[in-house]
Amino acid sequence: MYRLFLALRYLVTRPINLLGMAGITISVWALIVVVSVFTGFIDVVQRHVHSASADIIVSALPTWATWSKLQPALRDDENVAASAPRLLHYGILLPPGRRPDPAPLPGRSALNGGDQPFLFVLGIDAAAELQVTGLGDWLGAPAIPPADRADAASPLAPQDGLPAVLIGLERMQRDGLHRGDVVVLTTARFARTDDGSSVMPERLQVQLRIAGAFKTDHGGFDGNNVFVDRQTLQGMLHQDQPDLVQEIVVKVKDEATLDETAARLQRGLARALERNLQGFGSVMTWQQRNAGFLQSVEHQRALLKIVLIVIMVVAAFLMLATLSMMVTEKIADIGILTAMGGTPRGVTFVFLACGLVITSVGVVIGIGLGALTASYLEEIRQTVRWATGVDLFPIDVYNLDRVPCSLDALWMLQVAGMALATGVVVSAIPALRAARHDPLASLRGV
Amino acid sequence: MTPPVLAAAGITKNFRIGRQEIAVLRGVDLSIAAGEKVALLGQSGAGKSTLLHVLGLLDKPSGGAVRYDGRDVHTLSVQKRALLRHQHIGFVFQFYHLIPELTALQNVLLARMMGHSVLGYWGQRRTARIEAEALLEQVGLKDRLRHRPAELSGGERQRVAIARALIAKPRVVLADEPTGNLDSTTARGVVDLMFSIQQERGLAFLLVTHDENLARRCDRVVRMRDGVVVS
Ligand SMILES: Nc1ncnc2c1ncn2[C@@H]1O[C@H](COP(=O)(O)OP(=O)(O)OP(=O)(O)O)[C@@H](O)[C@H]1O
Ligand SMILES: [Mg+2]
Repeated sequence: MYRLFLALRYLVTRPINLLGMAGITISVWALIVVVSVFTGFIDVVQRHVHSASADIIVSALPTWATWSKLQPALRDDENVAASAPRLLHYGILLPPGRRPDPAPLPGRSALNGGDQPFLFVLGIDAAAELQVTGLGDWLGAPAIPPADRADAASPLAPQDGLPAVLIGLERMQRDGLHRGDVVVLTTARFARTDDGSSVMPERLQVQLRIAGAFKTDHGGFDGNNVFVDRQTLQGMLHQDQPDLVQEIVVKVKDEATLDETAARLQRGLARALERNLQGFGSVMTWQQRNAGFLQSVEHQRALLKIVLIVIMVVAAFLMLATLSMMVTEKIADIGILTAMGGTPRGVTFVFLACGLVITSVGVVIGIGLGALTASYLEEIRQTVRWATGVDLFPIDVYNLDRVPCSLDALWMLQVAGMALATGVVVSAIPALRAARHDPLASLRGV
Repeated sequence: MTPPVLAAAGITKNFRIGRQEIAVLRGVDLSIAAGEKVALLGQSGAGKSTLLHVLGLLDKPSGGAVRYDGRDVHTLSVQKRALLRHQHIGFVFQFYHLIPELTALQNVLLARMMGHSVLGYWGQRRTARIEAEALLEQVGLKDRLRHRPAELSGGERQRVAIARALIAKPRVVLADEPTGNLDSTTARGVVDLMFSIQQERGLAFLLVTHDENLARRCDRVVRMRDGVVVS
């Protein structure tokens, strides 16, 4: 009992110890708030990326890959709910007679692409695609004005004699386009020369009519992709290969076994095509497909963790300094404590308890404040913006409606554990010095 | 004659300084019975404090045995010796050794907390407080309970130290020049107080002093010179 009592008395009579405590509190607080924001941000980004992607994408298919061969193989897999074929092309899409805008500003990230004129043209089977990806949701996004909404049942049906195209909402609005407008796709196709000896590129211009806008949560996808009907694209580019498929999007029944399913489909691919794939054909989950982007955000989180842990180290040194000072000052009390019936171990614990009390209080306050800050981050952001005009987290850039934040109980426990372990080590050093002190030294005289 | 509470036989104590070994105590025999006041006189450096530390289980003798109620105590474990100090021995030192962060009352209560767990003490904290207040009242500090040592005079500090030594109801009190720092009037007050409590509780009392007059008020005077008892 005396140990705790004495430790507390030592502490409350020495406000300097608040310094170490504040250090611990700040580091715990920062570790919780910053990491929660990043975790929340990663969650949101993943959700956004996933919303604009199929569960599994089969891509880089060879020219001899045909839908009639691959479809049965996919359909037979136990975890495949639906699949849809795609053709991929690229080109410049502009209203007739308009020139492309100047080259885009540098530094725009993949999060918000779409200010460049060059686009991916995805040839899809609308009916099949609706079963696999979120196409239905993309076309029905609330942000799309009714006048620009595509026909939900057959979005890519020909429009007044012209093939239909679906364009990302932001791009449409930026270019002042609306449903029913005509745009020209400028691209190239590769055709055999007349004597059949080689393949030559030739210019291709096709008039398309806008059938409506689409909007996913992933701005980078919307800005860089447009949809046309697969048969139409095929007719334009590959008349000789009527069954060609270049990419297949797959929806699974059980997302928990996504990776296993992708691996299984990869093995089945070669079998279905009855040929050695020679490096062609890759089956990737949506995470693998976007791994570079998703991992870069996670790397940033890891880096920030390290930076913030440095604050904790600084706090630890602060605590070490104040505790050492205290032990030096209080080492004279050891004699009388021993005379009253204390043991060296008990006396060590007095000083250890000082450090532990500082750390525990710091950790509890830090976690409480951290959780509170994280929970009310959006309100705090708005208040700060209202009061100072500074926007701490520009949510529009990331297509968000509030500051993302995800409090992870495990991470909070880890932070608390880390801080407590630091506290133990830092208090043990001066406490052990106290333990080695000869109690008689102070009793013999001053 | 009543059997001695505390008996030391053939105590030797050597200190090693560098390669040199000095014999500070060279075979001291001493026993104190319950209710007996013994004065220990001797020149500075005679080894009085060293003997007191050995008798109080603060230091181990190089040879010989210290017995409490016939039990050899220096063979006990560190924990048992600490408990024995807490339960059976009260110390009063020349320099008070109060803890400056604590009030008079807390200084006394601290000694009472020793040897109790947090829960164990919590159950008896009321009683402990009443006892401590009563004891401080007995030593004449009724109005000084909440004063810190820095706010007390030397004599008052020593009274707090006496209360602290007595709170755990020891049977032996070892005092090392308790009045060495006090003027003669204050000293007399402190000594009167100690003696009256000693009488009342029937304590075995060892008083180390340089004051012949004070020594004469004890039941027995033991003189030391160069680490041995001479009379
Ligand atoms: N830890 C130690 N190391 C070495 N020598 C010591 C130690 N403690 C005491 N001594 C020596 O032992 C001798 C006796 O010291 P002690 O303090 O017991 O004397 P004392 O009789 O109490 O003297 P005083 O009346 O001045 O208090 C002294 O010569 C002292 O130098
Ligand atoms: Mg002495």
